[in-house]
Amino acid sequence: MSVAELKEKHAAATATVNSLRERLKQRRQLLLDTDVATYTKNQGRSPVNFSATDLVCCRTLQGHTGKVYALDWTPEKNWIVSASQDGRLIVWNALTSQKTHAIKLLCPWVMTCAFAPNGQSVACGGLDSACSVFTLSSQSDRDGNIPVSRILTGHKGYISCCQYVPDQETRLITSSGDQTCVLWDVTTGQRISIFGGEFPSGHTADVLSLSISSTNPNMFVSGSCDSTVRLWDLRIASRAVRTYHGHDGDVNAVRFFPDGLRFGSGSDDGTCRLFDMRTGHQLQVYARQPDRNDDEIPTVTSVAFSISGRLMFAGYSNGDCYVWDTLVAEVVQNLGTLQNSHEGRISCLGLSGDGSALCTGSYDKNLKIWAFGGQRKVI
Amino acid sequence: MPALCYLFEGMGSSCSRSHSVNEANTEDNLKAVEIDRRILQETKAEQHIHRLLLLGAGESGKSTIFKQIKLLFHTGFSEAELRSYTSVVHANVYQTIKILYDGSKELAQIESDSSKYIVSPDNKEKGERLSELGSRLDHPFLTKEIAQDIKNLWQDAAIQETFSHGNMLQIPDCAQYFMDNLERLSQPDYVPTKEDVLYARVRTSGVVEIQFSPVGESKKSGEVYKLYDVGGQRNERRKWIHLFEGVTAVIFCAAISEYDQTLFEDETKNRMMETKELFDWVLKQKCFEKTSFMLFLNKFDIFEKKVQKVPLSVCDWFKDYHPTTSGKQEVEHAYEFVKKKFEELYFQSSKPDRVDRVFKIYRTTALDQKLVKKTFKLVDETLRRRNLMEAGLL
Repeated sequence: MSVAELKEKHAAATATVNSLRERLKQRRQLLLDTDVATYTKNQGRSPVNFSATDLVCCRTLQGHTGKVYALDWTPEKNWIVSASQDGRLIVWNALTSQKTHAIKLLCPWVMTCAFAPNGQSVACGGLDSACSVFTLSSQSDRDGNIPVSRILTGHKGYISCCQYVPDQETRLITSSGDQTCVLWDVTTGQRISIFGGEFPSGHTADVLSLSISSTNPNMFVSGSCDSTVRLWDLRIASRAVRTYHGHDGDVNAVRFFPDGLRFGSGSDDGTCRLFDMRTGHQLQVYARQPDRNDDEIPTVTSVAFSISGRLMFAGYSNGDCYVWDTLVAEVVQNLGTLQNSHEGRISCLGLSGDGSALCTGSYDKNLKIWAFGGQRKVI
Repeated sequence: MPALCYLFEGMGSSCSRSHSVNEANTEDNLKAVEIDRRILQETKAEQHIHRLLLLGAGESGKSTIFKQIKLLFHTGFSEAELRSYTSVVHANVYQTIKILYDGSKELAQIESDSSKYIVSPDNKEKGERLSELGSRLDHPFLTKEIAQDIKNLWQDAAIQETFSHGNMLQIPDCAQYFMDNLERLSQPDYVPTKEDVLYARVRTSGVVEIQFSPVGESKKSGEVYKLYDVGGQRNERRKWIHLFEGVTAVIFCAAISEYDQTLFEDETKNRMMETKELFDWVLKQKCFEKTSFMLFLNKFDIFEKKVQKVPLSVCDWFKDYHPTTSGKQEVEHAYEFVKKKFEELYFQSSKPDRVDRVFKIYRTTALDQKLVKKTFKLVDETLRRRNLMEAGLL
């Protein structure tokens, strides 16, 4: 077969796939008789009562000399690790706001960090296309830096996100600009599985974020520049379990809903969405009101759920940090306009293990801890 | 752990920035203070280092510039590093002859004058074998026998014809150089020379960096630079470019000889147009609002030869070009035209508030070490002047 004939066949196949997709989309539209918010309001529910004193900034963690890009809590000890443009990882004691460790990285272009479940190591990755693991109890060298314990190499593009598999210090998952996600064995440094890449049904553009289900740690979702989110089963690397369409731009953030049956996503299209994991349906779109002051739509950089899932926190590129009532799809608070809020884009956020505190990281070089104040019950 | 909640309850709406709470013990305090001190010290130590970012489309010559800087102002390449390039050089040889042979077959299919591209019967067998070798990930060592076969094939009229009309194929610029040196490269004890390393093409993974000083660190007035090449990332730049906010300067490499070539990743796209789009995009990035731009119009040596045979106007961006004379004068005329196009693009793409950022254009041939050295000294002067201006001393 000649090159020209092959090209024709390829074009025809692509057209078929596109038309099938279109038909699927239409079928879904027909089935989608309502969304979460409409249904909830029809039941007579109203937004959660949230005032300016319900979530208060009680700590500002200062120390980074560059933009903060990522953060992660450790579930047990209330420590936070943060990664910044200054090429450092800093570990903070969230209760006292003291720094317990500061690691100057060999490759300063770090984009993500993660805490091991037992709180004894941290991992990070970035433009070096490798994931570095540090054991916090290691002896520091002459300059006071902890040496790297292991470097996980193999990706052919930047590491956008890394997460330890819950309750497993020895396994972690990375997502990368090379369009794949990889499950690693930290002790041997070997790749256990590759999700995507040469195998069909993988992402077709950079993968930007991942979230592992806490109820079923064999499942994780990944968000990508191809505007989709894909669901993977750690035991089956050869194909994605499901692909979720809906966003109109890069999916920068994904996070499982507390019950592990749904997940939220945030995108360059300015919206957050809630998807049903098993059916693939888009349950709800969380779209901002257009603001005359914005020259461009603020993009969603990060997403997290409160412990019950009733609240969804979303960080935006313009410094806003919306608290959405997930059920009613209304914004009940904007942490970006409160007293002592960040002065720049919110790049990352995350809830503590027990859900009583939210940590946000920003381009203003600081991290802030917000806690449910006063009589407010943690939801 | 509800403890966190109760502790914060007392804080109410006052945002505490205090570093210690009564419960924290002294050892923790000391550790935290030590960390702060160390961060301060490290930050101070780095303040005088200017960071430079090399950007440019694939094949623009960025990595060659990087290697030149390493040779000129850094430690150069150690014996071990030179040896490590042997397999790369051999791989380049296999890749080159494969591209040429496969290319001759493709041209024979699509060109009307196909007989020009059909290799002689003896060479056909060699070509098939070499093409198969070139497609493997692990190439066999380049022996004298294989090198002889490659040489014979290279000298075949059809291959030479393919080489001179290969703008549609992805023939690497190092082709001629490696083909001319086959005997030396196939010696059993071959160790690459510095020049071989400069020509060698390998995809850099991740980021490579070198720290150097153009006049030598011992001299007080010498600036210290850190140069970064992010060449290896074949993905969405918009997702990581912001990491480089605050670099002193972007060195943008544009290979001006590529006006008639297409991309490796997409053969329907013209390389010069790709460079134009990339330059435009980079100029508009918010993170580079205050960054100086050094534009290296690179591969001038290839441009010089090409422009006399292939009109500039084959590239859409240069379609309004009309040659006026010929020979050396024409080359200069063509170069000035291209330079002006880039200048216009710069001013179009820069918002009014960025008009006073530094923008300089340099004509380079990345493989010419003297020229790179001279160019870099000029870049250094410009940046030092900018520094003094910013400090209010000029």
